[in-house]
Amino acid sequence: MELQAVMMAAGGGSRMTDLTYNTPKAMLPVGNRPLIWYPLNLLERVGFEEVIVITTKEVQKMMSTDLKLKMDVKMKLDFVCIPEDEDMGTADALRHIQPKIKTDILVLSCDVITDVALHEVVDLFRAHDATLAMLMSKAHEFTETVPGQKGKKKAAEQRDFVGVDQSGKRVLFMANEVDLEDGLSIRKSILNKHPRMLIKTGLVDAHLYCMKKAVVDFLTDNKSISSVRGELVPYLVRKQFSKARSSPKPKDDTDEQSQTKSDNSPNNELLISSRDDRLLQLAQERSCWNDHHGDMSEAYHGGKLRCYVHIMDQGLCYRVNTIAAYIEANRLVPKLLFEEPAVHPSAVISERCQMGSDSMIGALCHIADKTSIKRSTIGSSTTVKEKVRVTNSIIMHGVTVEEGCNIQGSVICSNAVIGRGSDLKYCLVGCGQRIEDAAERTNEVIVGTDQLMEI
Amino acid sequence: MAGRGGKQRISSRKGGCEQDEEEPQLQAVLVADSFNRKFFPVTKDQPRALLPLGNVAMIDYVLEFLTSTGVQETYVFCCWMASKIKEHLLKSKWCRSTSPNTVHILTSDLYRSLGDVLRDVDAKSLVRSDFLLVYGDVVSNIDISQALLEHRHRRKIDKNISVMTMLFKESSPGHKSRCEEDDVIVAMDSKSQRVLHYHKTQSLKKLHFPMNIFHSGSDEFEIRHDLLDCHISICSPQVAELFTDNFDYQTRNDFVRGILVNEEILGNQIHMHVTTDGYGARVSNLLMYDSVSSDVVRRWVYPLTPEANFTDQKGWSCTYSRHNVYRGSGVTLGQGSQMEENVLIGWDTSIGANCYISNSVIGNNCTIGDNVVLDHAYIWNNVQLGANVVISHSVVCEKAEVKEGVKLNKQCVLAYNVVIGPHISVPEGTVVSMHYPAEEEEDDDEFLSDDAAAGQSKDKVKQKAFNPAEVGAEGKGYVWKARGLDDTDDEELSHCLWGLTLKPELESESDDSEPDGPDDPVIPSPEMDDAKVFQKEVLGTLQRGLDENISCDHLVLEINSLKYAYNITLQEVMQILTGVLLDLPLQHHSSQLTASRYVAVLLPLLEKWAPVFKNYVKRSQDQLDCLSAFEEHFLEQVSHWPAMCKILMTMYQLEILEEEMILRWFSQSVTSDASRQLRKNQGLQKFIQWLREAEESSEEDGE
Repeated sequence: MELQAVMMAAGGGSRMTDLTYNTPKAMLPVGNRPLIWYPLNLLERVGFEEVIVITTKEVQKMMSTDLKLKMDVKMKLDFVCIPEDEDMGTADALRHIQPKIKTDILVLSCDVITDVALHEVVDLFRAHDATLAMLMSKAHEFTETVPGQKGKKKAAEQRDFVGVDQSGKRVLFMANEVDLEDGLSIRKSILNKHPRMLIKTGLVDAHLYCMKKAVVDFLTDNKSISSVRGELVPYLVRKQFSKARSSPKPKDDTDEQSQTKSDNSPNNELLISSRDDRLLQLAQERSCWNDHHGDMSEAYHGGKLRCYVHIMDQGLCYRVNTIAAYIEANRLVPKLLFEEPAVHPSAVISERCQMGSDSMIGALCHIADKTSIKRSTIGSSTTVKEKVRVTNSIIMHGVTVEEGCNIQGSVICSNAVIGRGSDLKYCLVGCGQRIEDAAERTNEVIVGTDQLMEI
Repeated sequence: MAGRGGKQRISSRKGGCEQDEEEPQLQAVLVADSFNRKFFPVTKDQPRALLPLGNVAMIDYVLEFLTSTGVQETYVFCCWMASKIKEHLLKSKWCRSTSPNTVHILTSDLYRSLGDVLRDVDAKSLVRSDFLLVYGDVVSNIDISQALLEHRHRRKIDKNISVMTMLFKESSPGHKSRCEEDDVIVAMDSKSQRVLHYHKTQSLKKLHFPMNIFHSGSDEFEIRHDLLDCHISICSPQVAELFTDNFDYQTRNDFVRGILVNEEILGNQIHMHVTTDGYGARVSNLLMYDSVSSDVVRRWVYPLTPEANFTDQKGWSCTYSRHNVYRGSGVTLGQGSQMEENVLIGWDTSIGANCYISNSVIGNNCTIGDNVVLDHAYIWNNVQLGANVVISHSVVCEKAEVKEGVKLNKQCVLAYNVVIGPHISVPEGTVVSMHYPAEEEEDDDEFLSDDAAAGQSKDKVKQKAFNPAEVGAEGKGYVWKARGLDDTDDEELSHCLWGLTLKPELESESDDSEPDGPDDPVIPSPEMDDAKVFQKEVLGTLQRGLDENISCDHLVLEINSLKYAYNITLQEVMQILTGVLLDLPLQHHSSQLTASRYVAVLLPLLEKWAPVFKNYVKRSQDQLDCLSAFEEHFLEQVSHWPAMCKILMTMYQLEILEEEMILRWFSQSVTSDASRQLRKNQGLQKFIQWLREAEESSEEDGE
């Protein structure tokens, strides 16, 4: 086994609390499947047989009861529950499962929907014997109106600055605009090694990382790092160019071990030295291949730590962590699931219903006469009565839509009831909400009072 | 049929007209003065533009480049020794009636900078449209048509927003043709090729980019350190106007900086064009002279090669054979002489027997004796080299004479008419000129003035005698500066002639060994409590105090401010301070320290910082706290127990701890086994015993 897959599925979805109030993020329906199915499927497609899923008790329970998911996912899921009350970061979670890690790992988040050819990332990891390989994609503009969002999108979020070398693969620099208030500064020695640096903004980190096992071991020694994206990755990127203090001294293993034992201070050095290191080194010495040109120094300038990124130019890559992204993902997944029938066989659909090919209808749905459903997703066991028009919307399971409703650009969470003749435009209706008859709502978030208290 | 033909003709004529409109006559402004004295004192006798490079005056390279790239009208601005340049140009092919490039020569003593020249261009409204701006010492074969097209296109689309297109050549850092002094870092917008930031990198370790350059709306930027500034720029007429408007702009650098900084106010932009296959470099110092000369000989500037005779001199011919060996007509070569590679020899030069010449350029009418070794030597016209001369990496100017047995070490310069030797070795970096160095200082202010002044002072100088120790028994000339002594005075000159020496290895190493510093912070964990942070800080402070020998008062001050910053009680300060001190030797010497070694390291520290302790340990409770921290530390370091008594003894002697308190601490009822064990330590027992006896005796004495 070359890589162990680790799925981070404990996130609460703090950026879309209106949606995740009742359903944990991993289980949000996207195209009538729980969100976590997409990354699981991605792994399964490339042949993983086992995944460590780091999650909460709640999600584990929901996943084990979800029969459909069980049928679809044939991989062995090794659940590791982390306590919900403790505020554990992703790096903390990795540290938590360190005893299970035997090889290099592939970490991904449960909210990634992508059609990336995963081998692109893994090949980078293999080819350069990288410490870290990650996936990024061009950011997408979300075109749909987001319920409850007044006016234009709030001021542009703080941009991430990613510096890559000429080939566009090696990560040289990484910082967020917040940390760059007084300008961006780069050591000249880095620029001497990589004289042409492309600084890219407008990229989304897909939160998919290949990492050396040593990185996980390093985490156990450095308890101060709590987040992978926020701390570990920038640290590794920076560390590429700082001089390794321990490397010049020839040390044998026993010496090293005794030293790490006697040193109570955390081991700040990342020891990237695997068994076959010597062989690899020999190969590198004997090879005429070099990763750069322009100077005569050895490949990688002798650096042992290397971070790479695969940037997707085309294709789909979304992180479903905001309502806007959620809506966009729902709009796009029918394209991903082409092998699936758009209408579940057990759904009952009147013949006099107009349904666009870009819509999905879940199991056991009842769609009555004279309805029109376009560019929408309708979850299982939902009843749509006569003369209802649903456009550009997401309706989760168990929803009842009474006669004559017009639903446009909205998200209706499970078990809601939409009263007769209602007109909803760009609204978000929370779980179990009841919209009174003939209501006219535009651009509102309709949730229960208890949920409001929460926020 | 006829009708159609007519139409076609009309349309084609129309097209022709449009083309004429699109491409007006291309003009160039050639600044034949460097406005610096980096080639001093060589340029005292000859302006830089006329110095020979590959046996051709530098200005001829520029003019050839301009002409071949399609320039039809060139304004040459001269200042220093303008008459010589004028004379040279009038004789050259550029001033013949058949020349496709009309050359106008403008001279004035008032030009003191590029800014003055361009202001004059504006005042005389010489340029009508986009023009090329080059210096008289640029050697290039770049085809600028592509860059020109792009420039014109941008000007058309954005209504004169882009005022300048700078030409760069791709070249890796540390490349020979990159001048260290001129190294630039450019931040650009990848899509529009707009220059966002332009900075010289010389002697910078960190490169800083202000944030506002990233707010241009683009999402892809490039930071390029692989560019060589060719000092060729395509300018719009606005450039001249802008120089007039901003009378403080002196150089192109000022201009570029000004435009970039004031981009929002003035709304002007600068773009760039990067060429990968042309050659373009500016001979800004002798090091560059060396690199560019060898590039010319190695044919990188093709078609401007030595044998091409592009200056069209009559009766000139040169053969080119393999290993880049060029021989002018009438060259005689003695028996057994070897021209290894990359050698250019001008006409009518005679070379003696058993010479060895490599990577060198030799001018016309030179006489070279027997057994001469030349490597990277640049010998100009009419030079006489005696037998057994060795020259490496040096320049010998016109009419100089090097007598028998002289050795010129690296980076020597013999200016015009100098005579050296016989039989001396000239140390590295020596500059010898017929002008007396002091003379230069005298007319420092007016170095741009006419030759008459120089001539006058020459007479004065004549009286001063040459120093035979420096220039040899028959030598003529004054040594300007020995390279070794350049650290204090005359800094300008030391930079000048050879420029900064390239030491890529050395520099990169120093870069690497640079401590990670703030760039690589140990991430402070959010959970760490204040006491821990405080402890770390105190440790750091003491460490620094040790390294930098900070006085105890200052240490106390720093610890106090830390105490407030982290809200630490006095009691904790005491305990932490004690703990940190006891830990310090362990930090230094990693782990395995024997107890005796430990004591040996710790005791001096204790003595050194006794005042710090005394500042905190005052009351009896303080002493007890201190002791408990002491105990805590040793409970963890069982192997160091033998050291305990010595440390306590020292602390007692330094009057940090009183005997009473030590005794009280010792006799405290202890709960844990380990503490009990600790108290049973023999050394400690003995020390306590001694204390008790001392106390008793002192009590007795008191009674």
